[in-house]
Amino acid sequence: MKTVEDFVVLLHDELALSVTVEDLGRSLDSVESWDSVHLLTLCTLLERETGRSLSLADVLEAPSLEAVYRMAVAP
Amino acid sequence: MTGRDVYIRSAASALPGEPVDNATLARRFGMDALWEQWVDVFIGTASRHLALDLESGKVTGTLADLAAEAGHAALVAAGVGPEEVDAVVLGTATPDQLMPATVNIVADRLGINGVRTFQLQSGCSGAVQALDVARQFLLSGGGRTVLVLGGDVIARFYDVERDLRTAAPAELVNYVLFGDAAGAAVLSTRPAPGSAVVHELFTRLVGLGREPGAVLEWFGPADRDSDRPAATEDYKAIEQHVPEMTEQVLTELLDSRGWRPEDVDVLLPPQLSGRMTKLITERLGLPGAQDVTCVDRAGNCGNAIVFLQLERALGGALGPGRRAVGISVESSKWIKAGFALEGC
Repeated sequence: MKTVEDFVVLLHDELALSVTVEDLGRSLDSVESWDSVHLLTLCTLLERETGRSLSLADVLEAPSLEAVYRMAVAP
Repeated sequence: MTGRDVYIRSAASALPGEPVDNATLARRFGMDALWEQWVDVFIGTASRHLALDLESGKVTGTLADLAAEAGHAALVAAGVGPEEVDAVVLGTATPDQLMPATVNIVADRLGINGVRTFQLQSGCSGAVQALDVARQFLLSGGGRTVLVLGGDVIARFYDVERDLRTAAPAELVNYVLFGDAAGAAVLSTRPAPGSAVVHELFTRLVGLGREPGAVLEWFGPADRDSDRPAATEDYKAIEQHVPEMTEQVLTELLDSRGWRPEDVDVLLPPQLSGRMTKLITERLGLPGAQDVTCVDRAGNCGNAIVFLQLERALGGALGPGRRAVGISVESSKWIKAGFALEGC
């Protein structure tokens, strides 16, 4: 996963979330069907894709999918 | 009806092996610290017991083993011999075999014979349904003592080779929510020190037109290669409906007894997960109630869990004159259940 477009594909293919790049900045509360299990699945997928560990405490602070993405790919 | 009272004389439980904590599960399924943290935060269940060798994936015990152990302990605690038991009732979602009924295997192990036996195919409210059958039998004058059993062994639903990173959410949650156990209670028309009188007890199907919230499949030679998952849970429906159904059961129990919220000394809340049970208990807001919860350490043990709560309540919180309410909600096809007790 190298780009934000790759991230959107991941959300669509693995989590069945129909979001666009434009949607990523929306509050997680407004993402349809989003819940804590999706959060876990997403984090697990991101760790697999990036080969890096994420902290649940940090992810819980993320207000949007975009913020989760930035956390996963941050240098 | 005879106007007689029914008493819970004793309760006991049996749990297989040592508790399996979240770190152990994480290691076995190749999950990392984040997964373990997620279970702690969002499930809130620290451990569970499994009749399973996690390394080999082999099932290590049966429901009959656990139910016989719990039943024996309950009979001893009540000072009742097997020859004094007039009926046996078992509630379970996971009988060892479809035939013979597990209740009859357990009766055999306990030396009980020549009496009525019933097995209910039931879910999380099965303990209350079994207690209901036993209580109605006693109220009808059919006997004086009933051994009531409940339990589940979900170990066979564990696939230790499953890659949980690819499991659908509805399947994933089952790996952390549940545990194996059996429980038992002796119901009698005769009170004894340390027992509790059953003032109210009801179960009610409210599933008309509603989709199941939890499904367990069983397979035979013709469909054992089916792709459908063996266990799924609509956890969103459960999160939405169980808290409000719990409130409805509490209101009904209080109204029928004429009790005020502050009259309740002991609360046995639904045992979904450590986190859900905590949220539900806080939402009920009973000001003086001591809550009796086991799910955070034993997992959701299905038909057994109410007996685990009763065992703890009779052993501590529920002294003479103390009032308790127990609430159970089954999401499989949606059943509301509850009871009101008073210590003797």
